[in-house]
Amino acid sequence: MTVALAVPDVLVARAQAGDEAALEALFRAFETPVYNLARRMLRTTEDAEDVLQETFLEVVKSIRQYRGDGHLWGWVRRIAATKALMRIRREQLRAAEPLDQEPAGRPAMHVGANLDLERAFEHLSDTSRSVVWLHDVEGYTHEEIAELMGKSVSFSKSQLARAHTRLRGLLGEGAEA
Amino acid sequence: MMHCTVEDLLALRAGEASVFARTHIEACATCRAELDGLYQRVAQLKALPVLRPSRDRWPVVQTAVRVERTRRRRVWSAGSLAAAAALAGLLLLRPTATGGGLHAELSQAKQQSATLEDELRRYDVDGRVLSGRAATLVAELEDRIAVIDGDLASLGEIKAQALDADLVKLWQQRVDLMRELVTVRVTRARYVGL
Repeated sequence: MTVALAVPDVLVARAQAGDEAALEALFRAFETPVYNLARRMLRTTEDAEDVLQETFLEVVKSIRQYRGDGHLWGWVRRIAATKALMRIRREQLRAAEPLDQEPAGRPAMHVGANLDLERAFEHLSDTSRSVVWLHDVEGYTHEEIAELMGKSVSFSKSQLARAHTRLRGLLGEGAEA
Repeated sequence: MMHCTVEDLLALRAGEASVFARTHIEACATCRAELDGLYQRVAQLKALPVLRPSRDRWPVVQTAVRVERTRRRRVWSAGSLAAAAALAGLLLLRPTATGGGLHAELSQAKQQSATLEDELRRYDVDGRVLSGRAATLVAELEDRIAVIDGDLASLGEIKAQALDADLVKLWQQRVDLMRELVTVRVTRARYVGL
């Protein structure tokens, strides 16, 4: 999702001074992009809403540390992505599920099932979905994703390749290249 | 004939492909179609509808904002006392030949400030319910006092002899703001019958 929203410096300054109205204005400006990012990375609306809340709790706590280097959305988005990835890691630890496998309980899809893209995307593992979304949609580099995930650059690249192979199969786009 | 892998196609898209992939894609219609498919898939991902939260999470965040404000207020209060103490110590150690009148004014302003701090504490600043307007006013006054405290701290670090007049002015401004703050607190406390 591309966010063309520019936040006036004075609004940021007021938020940094603890002005509630300014903080609410920031929340209203970013709640949809943050939720959208979290929902694309996570499996349920509840988890995404929790990440939205956790993200803004962090924003309230840390906004004084924001120095204005880079777009505020980039700063908020990084917090949101980190929160979502933490949630994925917690869930994977709880389910003892390897990072790059399809989640347990989700039926495997057959290649050529001709799903639409949104449904096919939902069938990727949480990790693959996160890598695809962060890289292909949000424009993160593999280096940035590796840092966010605490993994290597090659892990990010291989996740992206596997995800696209799977998406292609789920969308019935023919034999692998 | 060996075709490009998905890794090759992704590398081509990123402009980081191997010589083989770059050469092969020129000659192979199948792989070009695969690369087009990859571009289309990514474009479609970017065009997916924006998802919106069904519930408003602002009230929870708002509570956190208020808790954070309370925490900062406590830090501010402790910080002002520390700044006042540090400056008082500094001035006691300074020679008295820099203007007895200014020193007297400074002492008076600091004393007034300390008295107002005590008065504010008696009104239990964190426990009182304020109207939205009063809360905004209080926040504004506290922010302005915080700015003055920052200036006072800077002057304290400089420790220059010729700064007495600036110090007096800042402390007097602080006293004026503290008075306004006390007035807002007291007025509100009386209004709600506390």
